[in-house]
Amino acid sequence: MVNFAFLDWFWLVAFIVLMVFCGVLFYRLGKRSLSDFFLAGRGLPWWLPAASVYATHSATDTPMWISGVIYKYGMRGIWYTFFSAWCAISAFASTRIFRRSLAYTQAEWQTLRYSGLGAELLRGWIAGWQVFMNMFVLGWVGIAMGKLCGYLFGWPEWIGLILFSSLCAIYVLAAGYWGVVMADFQQGVIAFSVIIIVSLWGIVAAGGPSGIMAKLDTLGESWRLNPFAFSGVTSGDFPLAWFLTMMVIAVIGGFGMGTAIDWYPEAQRIQSAKTVRDSSYSIWAGSALIIVRNSLWTVAILAFFSLYPRIQSTAEYEMAWYRLGFEFLPVGLVGFFFAAIVAIHLSTISTHLNLGASYATRDLYHHYFKPKASDKELVWVGRITTLIILLGSFVYGLMMQEITQWLIFALWIMAAGIWLPNILQVIWWRFNAWGYLSSWIANLGFSWLIVWVLPEFKVIPVLPDYLQFWCMMVLGAVIYIPITFLTKPEDMDRLVKYYVMSRPLGWWKPVAEEAERRGLLKLEDHRSRGGN
Amino acid sequence: MGWIKTKWTPEQADRWTKEDYITFIISPLIYVLLALGVAFSLLLLWYGWVMVGASIILLIVMIKIIDPKLKAISEDYETKQKKYLEDLEKIARWEE
Repeated sequence: MVNFAFLDWFWLVAFIVLMVFCGVLFYRLGKRSLSDFFLAGRGLPWWLPAASVYATHSATDTPMWISGVIYKYGMRGIWYTFFSAWCAISAFASTRIFRRSLAYTQAEWQTLRYSGLGAELLRGWIAGWQVFMNMFVLGWVGIAMGKLCGYLFGWPEWIGLILFSSLCAIYVLAAGYWGVVMADFQQGVIAFSVIIIVSLWGIVAAGGPSGIMAKLDTLGESWRLNPFAFSGVTSGDFPLAWFLTMMVIAVIGGFGMGTAIDWYPEAQRIQSAKTVRDSSYSIWAGSALIIVRNSLWTVAILAFFSLYPRIQSTAEYEMAWYRLGFEFLPVGLVGFFFAAIVAIHLSTISTHLNLGASYATRDLYHHYFKPKASDKELVWVGRITTLIILLGSFVYGLMMQEITQWLIFALWIMAAGIWLPNILQVIWWRFNAWGYLSSWIANLGFSWLIVWVLPEFKVIPVLPDYLQFWCMMVLGAVIYIPITFLTKPEDMDRLVKYYVMSRPLGWWKPVAEEAERRGLLKLEDHRSRGGN
Repeated sequence: MGWIKTKWTPEQADRWTKEDYITFIISPLIYVLLALGVAFSLLLLWYGWVMVGASIILLIVMIKIIDPKLKAISEDYETKQKKYLEDLEKIARWEE
């Protein structure tokens, strides 16, 4: 339990009023059109979506998760947080391609890249899945806030879950993405400042850098300062094979769309940038900030470990960074700290409320239920679906208990079997909707089989994470590669249109030649493409 | 860096060239250096500062390499965007 002084409550109330007011201020812009409600009119300079990328991915559960992996694995745990490196290549590859498609959502992109029934099935499936996923993310982020409020004030978990998400919904309902991105900017600035202050405070409280290193040495835990302290090539709790797998997933994944679950919110930020160049820089810079933030947290958690080295309970050491703030900051700054936690919470909640609503509105309601709907009607549908997603997230939130378990499940397993298809759909013209659809279905089946069912019945042993990934990738390919070749290529008209507009990277030679034959590309373009 | 192209026509900029591939290599390297460099710098280890310095130099190099190309792509693409947006609406409304 933490006792708040008057000054602490003042900071908290002032920040909440400021955040909600900042969002609502853009009410008039948000209601102008569907494009304004979900993409801020596609007119933002790069630094605004960049701040939004950073703010969105700094949630209340993020320091808990990072505290968990750093406390457990030491500095080598930094590689668990390195998945955001997919943006390193994506910013200059898939981001550029996606921005040129102009699709509102990843689901809509499916109907630009593919054609016919397969494309429509994919659009419907991805839209439905994203509505669910956004509720799911809102639920786990929301319950993390509930747990934190329980730790701080002794409240039941549901109060923290419902109270702050509902406050956030005020400006998301009013101003849509305009409210989200403008509030994200100021929330991002507040959050980054406080992360620096608390982390440095924690490091000083642990005796400074030399004190931390000396304490770790005394404890016989100096290996925690080595980010490459592998437990073996394939053995132990942190094998080299895992590290290499993680690097492949994170870095090479940048050539694809959807190789990380973060792609979906990023796709919205990409489209809200005013030019292709702005979209590239926004994704790159936002992720660079995330990487710097993770490093700050890493050293702060090492400081916490040197202070409290023998904690066994995961739930307890996941609170490490929060404890540094609440136990060591002076009175008056504690409220400032909690206000910043509310800021990082609201920035994540607002994004997923608006993003989930964009799939429900643009891809489900507009495309499948009422194609002739006016912009005014669609903005209202956006608001209603925002509210439904908010209510759904409360239900999901109350169903979740172990944060780390859910996060690792979502980040790792749910994306493993479709990692390669997500790249293939960007770089290979022959990959078709049926191949991609079958990869999703195969992944759902194989992930349950390999992770739970077969080990449970002792058919196979429980596999380490990295082996699960490679198994699911190979087994999935056994299904979707034959299906791709046994079904027809996509309609050439659609492919040519997509190619001319998006100029994808990779193996597109037959499509490029057809585009040239139709006079849509200059001869110089084709000659220079070489072996594509 | 004479071997790096700094003036692009829209048609040239639309192609994937060595400037893109070099960026694909430099960019993740900057992230790795930043991640480790910031952590080691906070622990006041000298190689942390070297890593952060190297990441800043590489960032400047990367921008010098890719920015002229991104500018050319953007300027050309924005002139075509209105027509593409109309096509997108037709697909959403089942008119195409």
